[in-house]
Amino acid sequence: MHIEAQERDDVLLRRSARGDEEAFTELYRRHQAPLYRFALRMSGNVWAAEEIVQDVFMTLIREPKKFDPERGALRSFLYGITRNRVLKHLERTPRESLHEQIDEDGTGQRAMASESLTPAEWAEVGERREQVRAAVLKLPVEFREAVVLCGLEELSYEEAARLLDCPVGTIRSRLHRGRALLLAKLEMLRDAPKRAGASR
Amino acid sequence: MTCEEFELAGLDLESLRQEDPAHIAAREHLQLCPQCAALHENWQTLRADLHAVGAETQDAGAPPRVEMHLRQEFRTRHKTMRAKRAAVYAGWTLAAAAVVLTAVSWVNWRHETGKGSTPSAVNSPQDVNMNKTTPAGPELGETIVAANDAGEFTLLPGSLPGMLEDATVVRVQMQRGALSALGLTVNEERAADLIQVDLLVGDDGQPKALRLPQTTE
Repeated sequence: MHIEAQERDDVLLRRSARGDEEAFTELYRRHQAPLYRFALRMSGNVWAAEEIVQDVFMTLIREPKKFDPERGALRSFLYGITRNRVLKHLERTPRESLHEQIDEDGTGQRAMASESLTPAEWAEVGERREQVRAAVLKLPVEFREAVVLCGLEELSYEEAARLLDCPVGTIRSRLHRGRALLLAKLEMLRDAPKRAGASR
Repeated sequence: MTCEEFELAGLDLESLRQEDPAHIAAREHLQLCPQCAALHENWQTLRADLHAVGAETQDAGAPPRVEMHLRQEFRTRHKTMRAKRAAVYAGWTLAAAAVVLTAVSWVNWRHETGKGSTPSAVNSPQDVNMNKTTPAGPELGETIVAANDAGEFTLLPGSLPGMLEDATVVRVQMQRGALSALGLTVNEERAADLIQVDLLVGDDGQPKALRLPQTTE
């Protein structure tokens, strides 16, 4: 199934390189959403995420031959470009608030409205999530990637390792460390005993 | 299981199967250690929080304007590429046509020159050792005797070099077209021209070789 999907991506990309707009559109629709979410969660900025996704697919339009099917799936290739663009963006603008951008996009309100909570509980939950988002955005990039892919996008360690082009063990340790840092940032360990792993 | 081991393995507790020995050991440790139980609870809360935050943007995707812009860019780029390709093809076609035209012209020119200068080619030796007494413009049909220099002559078809030893040079004026009777190629457009020809006539009275002296030019 995976191989078939990869072959189909290859075929679409070849057609796209020959000027087939339908093929390019199909490729875009197939891959844009996870890339956009990754960029959004990593940068915390919808405009940046939009620009990054556009940039990634512009690369695909301009240099389709950069993708080598021998080296992996198109999805991993696109994630690689997205990561590079995200890192460049983060170098330029170190930190920005995620929650305002998400509310502007409307997606935050939609998720909140689906739960039957009192206004006070809503406020509490909202505040809590805001803290989590802010804490995620403050994580060092390598830990943030692992948390975004495995914690937010809920990919398996193997999938995340494939996309980030690193061993599964690395993902596991980064995720472990990222979660520990998150807990520390959220001061959830205030009442729990200080553990070396969490405070390192 | 120790607290340190739990800290390393406990994060993935939910991803382990119930019957997994690590899962069973971790569960047993949780019941015995309240500190690890508190830590595990925090992890669970964090996991739920992350899930909730992730769910907020679960269906997020790039807005339609990105797709529109990309498709526009795609069209523009491939239109430009097509135009460039067409220009390249047109350029190469023109160049090829020019080469073919030049080649055809050159071949034609060679052909024309070849036909026109066949007699000249026969007469290519420039140093004609002419008898100084030869008049510049002899009358039609008048014969004169020129120097017997066989080196400048071109053998006519059927003649052998050995047959020229005792031959006599006879200069005649004739129409260029008459040369074809001697087996030479003649430019038909100039067939009616009168030319002077030195014939090397053998003992049998037959012309063996000829040359076109420069005085006929």
